[in-house]
Amino acid sequence: MGACAGLPDSINQGGTARALLVLGFTKTRRALFYVLGTLSLGGVPAEVEERLQGMSVIDDIKSLHADTLSAIGKVPNTDALEKIRVEVVGKSGTLTGYLRAMGQVAKEHRAEVGKTVNAARNEIEAALEAKKRELAHAELEARMEADAIDITLPGRSQQMGTRHLINAISDEISEIFLGLGYTVATGPEVETDWYNFTALNAPADHPSRSMQDTFYVRDLSGEQSNVRGESDVLLRTQTSGVQVHVMEDQDLPIYIIAPGKVYRRDVADPSHLPQFTQCEGLVVDKNITFGDLKGTLEYFCKQMFGPDRKTRFRAHFFPFTEPSAEADVSCGVCGGTGHLHDGERCRMCKGTGWLEILGCGMVDPNVLRMSGIDPEVYSGFAFGVGVERVACLKYNVPDLRMLLEGDMRFLRQF
Amino acid sequence: MKVSLKWLSDYVEVPQDIKEFCDRLDLTGTGVEGVERTGDVFDGVVVGHVLTCVDHPDSDHMHVTTVDVGAEEPVQIVCGAPNIAAGIKVPVATIGAVLPGDFKIKKSKLRGVTSCGMCCSQRELGMGNEHDGIWVLPDDAPTGQPIADYLKMSDTVLDLEITPNRPDCLSMVGMAREVGAMYQEPYTSPLAEMAGKLELNKDAAALDSEVSVSIADETRCSRYTARVIRGCKVGPSPDWMVERLAAIGQRSINNIVDVTNYILFLFGQPLHAFDLDKLKNAEGKANIVVRAAEEGEKLTTLDGEERVLTSDMTVIATPDQGAVALAGVMGGLATEVTEETTDVLLETATFEAGRTSRTSRNLGLISESSMRYERGVDDHGIEERSAAAAALIAAVSGGTVSYAEGNENGIIDVWPVKSEEFHLQFRIDRFNGMMGAQIPREFIVDILGRLGCKVEDGEAENVLEVTAPTFRPDLPREIDLYEEVLRLYGMDRIEPTLPGGRGRFGVRTEAQRTLDVVNDTMRASGLNETMTYSFADPHELEQLRMSTEGMGVPVELLNPLNAEQSVMRQSIIPGLMRSVAYNQSRGVHNVQLYETGVVFFGAEGHKKPKERQRLAAVMAGGMGDDAWNRKTVAFDFFDGKGVIENLIRELAIPKPRFKALSAEEAPHLQPGRAAQVLSGGTVLGWVGEIHPMAAEAFEAQAPIVAFELDLDALIKAARPARDYVDVPVFPAVTMDVAFVVDEEVTHEKLSRCISSAGGKLLASAQLFDVYRDEKRVGAGKKSMAYALEYRAADRTLTTEEVDKQHARLIKKVCGATGAEVRG
Repeated sequence: MGACAGLPDSINQGGTARALLVLGFTKTRRALFYVLGTLSLGGVPAEVEERLQGMSVIDDIKSLHADTLSAIGKVPNTDALEKIRVEVVGKSGTLTGYLRAMGQVAKEHRAEVGKTVNAARNEIEAALEAKKRELAHAELEARMEADAIDITLPGRSQQMGTRHLINAISDEISEIFLGLGYTVATGPEVETDWYNFTALNAPADHPSRSMQDTFYVRDLSGEQSNVRGESDVLLRTQTSGVQVHVMEDQDLPIYIIAPGKVYRRDVADPSHLPQFTQCEGLVVDKNITFGDLKGTLEYFCKQMFGPDRKTRFRAHFFPFTEPSAEADVSCGVCGGTGHLHDGERCRMCKGTGWLEILGCGMVDPNVLRMSGIDPEVYSGFAFGVGVERVACLKYNVPDLRMLLEGDMRFLRQF
Repeated sequence: MKVSLKWLSDYVEVPQDIKEFCDRLDLTGTGVEGVERTGDVFDGVVVGHVLTCVDHPDSDHMHVTTVDVGAEEPVQIVCGAPNIAAGIKVPVATIGAVLPGDFKIKKSKLRGVTSCGMCCSQRELGMGNEHDGIWVLPDDAPTGQPIADYLKMSDTVLDLEITPNRPDCLSMVGMAREVGAMYQEPYTSPLAEMAGKLELNKDAAALDSEVSVSIADETRCSRYTARVIRGCKVGPSPDWMVERLAAIGQRSINNIVDVTNYILFLFGQPLHAFDLDKLKNAEGKANIVVRAAEEGEKLTTLDGEERVLTSDMTVIATPDQGAVALAGVMGGLATEVTEETTDVLLETATFEAGRTSRTSRNLGLISESSMRYERGVDDHGIEERSAAAAALIAAVSGGTVSYAEGNENGIIDVWPVKSEEFHLQFRIDRFNGMMGAQIPREFIVDILGRLGCKVEDGEAENVLEVTAPTFRPDLPREIDLYEEVLRLYGMDRIEPTLPGGRGRFGVRTEAQRTLDVVNDTMRASGLNETMTYSFADPHELEQLRMSTEGMGVPVELLNPLNAEQSVMRQSIIPGLMRSVAYNQSRGVHNVQLYETGVVFFGAEGHKKPKERQRLAAVMAGGMGDDAWNRKTVAFDFFDGKGVIENLIRELAIPKPRFKALSAEEAPHLQPGRAAQVLSGGTVLGWVGEIHPMAAEAFEAQAPIVAFELDLDALIKAARPARDYVDVPVFPAVTMDVAFVVDEEVTHEKLSRCISSAGGKLLASAQLFDVYRDEKRVGAGKKSMAYALEYRAADRTLTTEEVDKQHARLIKKVCGATGAEVRG
């Protein structure tokens, strides 16, 4: 009912009343319009017939035209507008009535009347359309205003899961090296002595073996070790064994990265885990130089830690590389100075300005030779990054054990 | 290894700037693990020159002095000592100094007179008991010099990480050589001078008249020498030796043992001193045999432990007493030097590295001696080192060194196997090519010379002929020389480059890409990746009620850290269950975890276990907390199944199927909520709700939805490429129908009937409601409502066609399953 606001309810009923709605604007033509509005229903009363015959019908149409435009202008909503459309230009609308009654118009006036009716019809329809658009727009505005919400309320999202920090970093490392043309290789976690030590130039009883405390596995083949409590089968202490598998299985040149779990017999504490993750890299090609090793790892460190970070190489010893080095990246907390702005010693790097992140070196010729590669023709470099170490440096994880506890509050941070 | 810089500076010039020195050590391959300064306790104590001294106006014994402490202005100090006087030099503790006993020197007033420091007695400095007065220093003591420097008490001790390839650096002389090479400075060794002090006693019994040495197995011992020092008085060592040993953390024992330790740290030569009398047989002769231990032979070592030996171990023995020392590792208790000892037999030898290492590991006995032997002790030069040791023992104990009938140097020397020097070529161009550098020939020659190599020009151009010294067993190859030159040249001076190799592509394998899809799908399904230990408790599968059928033998660790981590896992689920319990016990009840990782299955007769990759997940609680616009639904079986359905979709797993598992087939799962996951005939794994009793055993709260899939099988089954199917062009007609069926009729059965009854026109049948109501549907019955979509690929279906097909479908389904259509 609201659509007919401003009109008495009593007249807003049925077809007759609908005609009256329009007629109501000018009293004088009430009778005529009443008749016009019902023309289609039956014969034409004599007095109407009379007006149709004369020229006064044109005034009637013009008057209807003007009244309708004025009504359209004042219409409050689309429902009321539709009502006007039906009553004036609808099938049985008032204006339509004139068209239908054309036959009764005196011949000499027919052209004139017809022209007037059509002009009125066109204008009214255009006005209806314009008003309709205007009203729709206003109504949309009103509706949108009513539909406004508190956009600070939380959204309706589906929980996304998270990648484990260590694997996320492994991925990041792999991506950097994929970009340099490396492929990703893997190897077994339970290894024989050969792949973990001997083929890596650390023969039995070599003191370098004591650099890592090894977990030995019961040898189910029944073989016995020379040393009580040791075995030919063990949990790999380094991903370097993948180097040997790759050199045995792949064609040259080799450019690989091998992320994976390794095991060393350290009691778990904030800075040690008996199980951790390494990313091994191996390149074997012609004319590979120590400069290539440096350039590759400097590129890696900048990608991983940021373009401002510096790297340095300290000579070291690994049985499977010669020369060997450890690489440090400049400390991100103190900017490599070793002390903070207030002069306090930097705790992150213990005042050295450097953080150790990986071991590396040129592949030892013995290792190449054991894998059937001629060290006079080929050279290469290898490196191993401690992924947990990178995690600590990048994310300040205070206790490595958190990485293996599965605490949802930790995992969902990354 | 600890190195006293004060001691080291006797042989090489040590840089003043300790930080720079440590950095240089680090960069050249000697890691500095600790820096400790001694003499710090005397910070702020300096040599003072008393300028004036007058009586204190308000005291009968105190004096007011002005003292020059090397500062711009002399300071005023009130002093109570009777021997204070103008003109003398005294130690002055300036303001801020902290004296022994945590006595802090502050500016103070003594009976109204300001005192800015304290003149010290020896006792106040903690350097003796002299407290009669001020410690008056010699007049030539430089005013203002720190007292620790003046008394040569300041020392810096570095804790160095010597890598296992550098036995030569496990000594002061070796470090002096290294430091000399680092800075291209000369170093000196005191060996010749010390050995030159050896004097042989021709008057006493000849060495070879009372001692004989034989080596039974020369693979175990390449050189064994013996000397005898007679008439020793065992007692305290001289202060200088005590101090040197103390500086590097060695407790003084007695003068004889201290000399063996001193020589060990000075030259890297382990020595052993026997009490000669205790080695002698009834005829008064010590017949030393170096031989393999007998299996089960017993020896009580110096530490008081009785050791049971194996034939792999080498012993020093006499025919009468059996083993008297464990070669290269530790001496025997029965023949040790004690206060009563007068005659000492000094062993200076070389034992084989590998056996020493194994012996030491087998007995859990690591000594300074074994650590050096397992890295390699040079057999050359032993005679001189033995002479230096014997001369020093004689000097500190008052003994004399026996002469020998058969050897003018007074030594019994059995040297069956001489180590050879390595003759190597150093191809300078190849070296520079491999390093990517242009390191000058002169530098190479100089550095190799400083390291002890003999360097000559080779016949070919730019090739050096290098002889590596026998004390560097780590330099048997040309490449080893490269490392020496590079590290001392400085790795930081090498220009960084990138490999220029052509024609390589960084690509992931198909399996790796599939694994990425698996991980992405798990995360998109709301699961959080975790990582648990690969170690397992041997009882955990039993706890979980999981059947171990077909799992083989667990992979057992020989040296686990603890019983709970003594085997390798055969399932990821127990680790994840522990994480569920961990979260729940901390008030975190919504847990969605997954892990990919390896599980291990051993088999008797096989050296290595089978490693299989698994994908496992646990879900407890719900996907999140209730929100203002969404209620959280508690996880049940279908959440786990839904994740697997996502995987099946993303991996395009062919012929996926879920088959109900009985309580016997999956005892770890709640009966009736357990399913096997298959792709055709291949079993991929299982999904279900963990049996409430299994959850309880892990102290976790049920319900816990879990699944574990064989990741290798999943990856193998995945179809990376899919066929295109035409997108429908013609409209579908959807008809809903609800079948009332017995509880036993599964969705799988019903939907199969629908599919086969639907013919070509049935495009899909979507279950949208399952409804149970005893009154409306009937007891033991359920209503299953499906939305059936009919469509033809080539035309718009007519109502008649659809009605006809739909009626036929209903009739067939009802006939096959006993269903009734619910009106």
